[in-house]
Amino acid sequence: MDKKTVTTISYLSRLKIDNENEQKIINDLSNIIEFVDQLNDVDTSEIDPLANPLEKTAKTRKDIVTAKNLKKKLLEVAPSANEDYFLVPRVVE
Amino acid sequence: MISHKEISNKEVIQEVFSLINQFQDLNTFITLNEENSIKKAEELDNSPSNLPLAGIPIAQKDLFCTEGLRTTCGSNILNNFIPPYSATVIENLENAGCISVGKTNMDEFAMGSSNETSFFGNVINPWGKDLVPGGSSGGAASAVAAGLVPAATGTDTGGSIRQPASLCGITGIKPTYGRVSRWGMIAFASSLDQAGPMARTAEDCALMLNEMCSHDEKDTTSLDNAIPDFEENLNSSLKGKKIGIVKDLDLSNLDNDVVEIYQNSLKEFESMGAELVDISLPHLSLSVPTYYVVAPAECSSNLSRFDGVKFGMRSEDVKDLEELYVKTRSEGFGNEVKRRILIGSYVLSAGYYDAYYKKAQQVRRLIKNDFDNAFKKIDVIMTPTTRGPAFKIGSKGDDPIQMYLEDLFTISANLAGLPAMSIPNGNIENKPIGLQIIGNFLDESTILNFAHMFQNETNWHMHTPEGIKQ
Repeated sequence: MDKKTVTTISYLSRLKIDNENEQKIINDLSNIIEFVDQLNDVDTSEIDPLANPLEKTAKTRKDIVTAKNLKKKLLEVAPSANEDYFLVPRVVE
Repeated sequence: MISHKEISNKEVIQEVFSLINQFQDLNTFITLNEENSIKKAEELDNSPSNLPLAGIPIAQKDLFCTEGLRTTCGSNILNNFIPPYSATVIENLENAGCISVGKTNMDEFAMGSSNETSFFGNVINPWGKDLVPGGSSGGAASAVAAGLVPAATGTDTGGSIRQPASLCGITGIKPTYGRVSRWGMIAFASSLDQAGPMARTAEDCALMLNEMCSHDEKDTTSLDNAIPDFEENLNSSLKGKKIGIVKDLDLSNLDNDVVEIYQNSLKEFESMGAELVDISLPHLSLSVPTYYVVAPAECSSNLSRFDGVKFGMRSEDVKDLEELYVKTRSEGFGNEVKRRILIGSYVLSAGYYDAYYKKAQQVRRLIKNDFDNAFKKIDVIMTPTTRGPAFKIGSKGDDPIQMYLEDLFTISANLAGLPAMSIPNGNIENKPIGLQIIGNFLDESTILNFAHMFQNETNWHMHTPEGIKQ
């Protein structure tokens, strides 16, 4: 974990790291990664990964509309919207 | 009392708000729902109801969406969020007659074990004004322990119901993964998150759980197995039942008092006819590092939805969309949440995925296999819930790993998807501590049975902090 890695993962995470906090974050992340590195002590070569304790594929339901006309309700909670759309800063010049 | 008309529903609710007001310093609530609650109580007074939990005041963790009532998840980024719909759990409880009196304080996005990461400030443990209540359901635990409400909802991703229950001297249960719908619960780590009740007794938890569980088509991981009446089995005899004692668990680092209290509880169960059986969970010590790969990975993915576009707060003065995302997230999230998002992005990124995320999922299977093997010959597993009683606010310093180890005993049940609960079983220097009971898959009834029988024989669950009525 170094400055370059932290720059990459903060970009991927869309988070800005202030210069004054950078070293602390590098240290914390290094410690956490070192802590989880003990997983390497176990031989897992024959073990299938377990993503979910139920081990079931997510169930699907019939493609029937159950919630109708939510547009107004959903746009109301947006930080910025007009009658039809969420508004964001200009994307295309 | 209500059914005998000795006191009206409205008087009960008014008393709740008067207590909340009196104990404001505990900082248990983020948002109150006073006007609506009183209105609902008046409706119940005018047309009495036979619903199972009619008029019961409940504090809802501020992680459940509540239609029309602000839901912050303890975060600045949802500071102004008023959900357009309610979580299934909230609907289930309100359909059973409960009155949601307010939204309880919590660690931001449920990431914390002391309630110190909340944007809305620390919660105080009613057992001491300098003590943390535990977390992440710290507000819920504190509210029940202070007697403000008889029950509260919590959620548990790595111990967030059981650890605060232990530290505040109350009872709490995390059901089997999939028992309670996650629809409308703000997601932290979707393969671990599970909602459950927190109350004074196992019996009250059973009453709550009866209403909270449901099969829900809106949650693709919701179980459609039959849901038993959780009250039915509470008084079954424990004679001949087998308690698994984890021989790999190193208790030598624990306080002597913690070990003694734990062993006294085991003796209590033996005197009720239960047998102790040594079991081995060889990969248990890897549950915390496994969790701190799996949970941040899922969190970094789940929290990508907070971008300042569709709901929640948005930072001002940005020049383009990219800056809108970055500035909103950087200003909206606190340090612990950022730390976990960064770890998640790291373990999921190209080149590290196999080494960390896949590896952790493989170890997760080993942990689950250990439990599967153990439960072939036992009914429940018992451990202390926490390494010690409530610690002082600020005492874990700024070292995240020290805080992560708080959940040493609780995390494995989430990784394996098993039901587990904490019940008060002792006191250390006037601070409560809990016993953890882990059950087999879908077997909440048995752990509730053990808990209830213990509470029939002991009165630790009735101990209250000084100045608090039972």
